[in-house]
Amino acid sequence: MSAPSDLFARLLQDAAALREQGEAAVRALRNIGDVQVGAAEKTCVLTDNKVRLFRYSPLARSANLPPLLICYAMVNRPYMLDLQPDRSLIRELLSLGVDVYLLDWGYPDGADRFTPLDEYICGHLGRCVDFVLEHNGIEALNLLGVCQGGTLSLCYAALEPQRIANLITMVTPVDFKTPENLLSKWAQHVDADLLTQSGNVSGEFLNLVYLALMPFRLTQQKYVHLINMQGDRAQLENFMRMEKWIFDSPDQPARAFREFLLWFYQENRLVRGELSLAARPVQLRNIQCPVLNIYAANDHLVPPSATIPLGVHVGSKNYTSLQIDTGHIGMYVSGKARKSVPEAIVRWLTERP
Amino acid sequence: MKSDWGGAGHFKLEHTFQNLLPALGHTREYQEIARRMLDLSVRFQQRYADFAQQSNDIGQSALSAMQKRSAAGGTAPRSPAALYDEWIDCAEQAYAQAAHGEAFTRSLADLCNILSAFKIERGKMLEALARQLDLPSRAEVDSLHRQIRGLTDAVNRAASKPPKPKARKPREARKPRKPGRRTGK
Repeated sequence: MSAPSDLFARLLQDAAALREQGEAAVRALRNIGDVQVGAAEKTCVLTDNKVRLFRYSPLARSANLPPLLICYAMVNRPYMLDLQPDRSLIRELLSLGVDVYLLDWGYPDGADRFTPLDEYICGHLGRCVDFVLEHNGIEALNLLGVCQGGTLSLCYAALEPQRIANLITMVTPVDFKTPENLLSKWAQHVDADLLTQSGNVSGEFLNLVYLALMPFRLTQQKYVHLINMQGDRAQLENFMRMEKWIFDSPDQPARAFREFLLWFYQENRLVRGELSLAARPVQLRNIQCPVLNIYAANDHLVPPSATIPLGVHVGSKNYTSLQIDTGHIGMYVSGKARKSVPEAIVRWLTERP
Repeated sequence: MKSDWGGAGHFKLEHTFQNLLPALGHTREYQEIARRMLDLSVRFQQRYADFAQQSNDIGQSALSAMQKRSAAGGTAPRSPAALYDEWIDCAEQAYAQAAHGEAFTRSLADLCNILSAFKIERGKMLEALARQLDLPSRAEVDSLHRQIRGLTDAVNRAASKPPKPKARKPREARKPRKPGRRTGK
């Protein structure tokens, strides 16, 4: 057993080392400057109010699959899927020969506060699907919905099943009332009318809510861990790109947000079969196409229990689920998911052309 | 004589406003808005005090958990970084336990609802000020947005309707008979 004086000397030594590492991290951070996001080349092929549809330039010979349209969440920016060359789901898909389109919801503002949710799903998403189908002369495409975008994609696929050849959902909430879902628990007593009566819901407010899910890790520990990077420029740039993405959150259009909060989080209409959009019932059993549901084992935003029930509710007899041992954000950028997710998607699609 | 304020340390906003007369006179509408804002401020303070108490309890639970862990881990010295990470683990566990509970959930929702209501009242005040200065108000802009929304919906509906079958060419109207051709008169 160490003598108290040895222990004290060791603690002092550790503290001095930590201080040196911290100073190195601060020096390196000062020199980082602006970080760039987005790695793959893309072209805007359709503009619909603030919504833009991008098509990515191919990086490899075509895998002869129907085009893949990615529908990301409205609550975050989609460049998380193409953050930097070595952390890009989209780049990986392109290098495997997939023809990738991306729907970008943009930054809604006050002019969008009365836009209903069905306009985003049946309107904007629908028009993007129409464009891709028409442009490629095909009758059905592959749709990849991510996070909230997965929920929107499920709604669309249930309404327009003939337009979707294969549906992939990634970290997508389906059953919004499971015991592990902290976000849902907090949402239950929020007055959706009051929250949205005075306008759009700010991105800052949503960020505060997300941070509050794990406040000690997300507001303290991750910054303290910067010192472990020992001033490594590449690691710090990765960190800053993530930081930019996390806090670059668009405001949410008031009416659509109210409907999402009320109908999905509070009333759980999607799995209860009680959802209607544009006066049309949204029945998950109408989804007959093959479905691949990818989820993260340690997801604190969309716990596995919120997404696994999809298999029970869709009408498809061809349902596959894939669990990745990572967290919600790790699904896009972690070493585990970076290669395995795009490869799994393309393998699955190739088996179902 | 004992002061009505009860000393600076015991000042409570709600006591000051609870015995006021109803809003009267030319400015009564503005007074009402101001009172609702004050009432909401007081309610926010009360709920925030509950929330702060719960946060304090979480801190206590985290500390107890940390003590238990340290006791279980023996006297082996650990680096400050390892101690810090252990503290974060304990704090998150204690927090998660409370955050899933009904009391915490209610407190958060109450704070959110009160702030939302306050924002609405503040908007009414700003609305009145904008009218006084002849500036475009939020209500006017909203009204325009609603009209645009309605027009957009109408255009989308019209665009998504299947085209109507071509109307038949109307038959040519018969020429009126010339008078006086009939016989038998």
